[in-house]
Amino acid sequence: MGPLIPNGILSYEWNIIIAVLIGLAFGFILEASGFSSSRKLAGVFYGYDFAVLKVFFTAALVSVIGLYYMDYLGWINISMLYVHPTYLWAAIVGGAIMGIGFVAGGFCPGTSICAVAIGKLDAWVYVLGIMIGVLVFSEAFGTFENIYNDTNLGNITLVDSLGLPASWIILTVTVIALIAFFISDVVRKRVKKVFY
Amino acid sequence: MINRKLAKILSKRYIILASLLLIAALGLVLLPSYQKNENTTAENLLAKVINPERYITSDVLADNIITNDPSIILVDVREVDEYTAYTLPNAINIPLGDILNEDYQGYLDQDRYNIILFSNENFKADQAWLLLNRLGYSNLHVLNGGINGWYHTILNPPKPTEDMPNEAYELYNFRRAAGLFFGVGIKAKEKKVVKKAVKKVVPKPKKKKRKPEGGC
Repeated sequence: MGPLIPNGILSYEWNIIIAVLIGLAFGFILEASGFSSSRKLAGVFYGYDFAVLKVFFTAALVSVIGLYYMDYLGWINISMLYVHPTYLWAAIVGGAIMGIGFVAGGFCPGTSICAVAIGKLDAWVYVLGIMIGVLVFSEAFGTFENIYNDTNLGNITLVDSLGLPASWIILTVTVIALIAFFISDVVRKRVKKVFY
Repeated sequence: MINRKLAKILSKRYIILASLLLIAALGLVLLPSYQKNENTTAENLLAKVINPERYITSDVLADNIITNDPSIILVDVREVDEYTAYTLPNAINIPLGDILNEDYQGYLDQDRYNIILFSNENFKADQAWLLLNRLGYSNLHVLNGGINGWYHTILNPPKPTEDMPNEAYELYNFRRAAGLFFGVGIKAKEKKVVKKAVKKVVPKPKKKKRKPEGGC
């Protein structure tokens, strides 16, 4: 049956409408759970709030488990889903830059937009920084072109690179996530309460 | 008023949620595996089955062979001894039992040639057609009627009766010509009408011996 649009159940034009609806819901949930506060987001790195870790890890687990159950029931064809290509070194460098920005600014790109929407000044500065970064990258693209295009591993997933069945990988990641949740709770209890 | 029972349960909500996740993930591992048809869906297969292009008639095939059509590959799915006994010109032999053999996939899994499968009847060729379609291969056709149909149409066509339309005669002539091309010839023996030169007996009037007559 699914995915709905490639299989012609919904027409192609629904793509953008569904994207807007999901985006609205995502932004609303981000704001409602307090993710538009840079202090809450930075809490992961200082050990006084692990909501970000828990929320995003849980979201990934719920969606992957749900997708594989739906695939098993024949509701969706998982091999038809888009897998983003892996550019190994570009991902490592980009991830490092993003991580530094996350610790220093207290936002990730999505939550920064959310915080802009509720009028936080630090978020305005943060988004301005993103714009400048985009401009610098575009202007100096010739310099970065090699690392941007090299080490393309194709549309691979852990199933391809580890050669294990998907269900075992999902179980492993679930166990890792639960251990991480447990440890983060222990850490949070030991760290001094921060008012934010 | 505080619902104490509910509060008691809710105090353990993180444990409950975590174990739910773990159970769901474990369930994925423990689910019995089943063969998924990733290459063809039921709808696609049905559409291909009822498509008349699945079959090629022996007349079209004969025309293709005679005109040296380079886009066809003839695949004989019968056994080796049947293949050696008689087969179509330039056919390759892939017995039905070996149709999934990886050595032959180079012939079968391609999109440049039209593959024409045939056997004695449609039966084995249809089986091969189905198996290869389930693998997602393309351009597969079955010779309608197989070798037997080939014999009854091309090699030994039925003679049209006199009340048939002109097309039947044209088809018959084409089949006769095609049969001649394939070297067997039409079995119909031409009756040799040996015209014996009939001796024309020209009766010669016998000269009657005249009896000597008396002179004057």
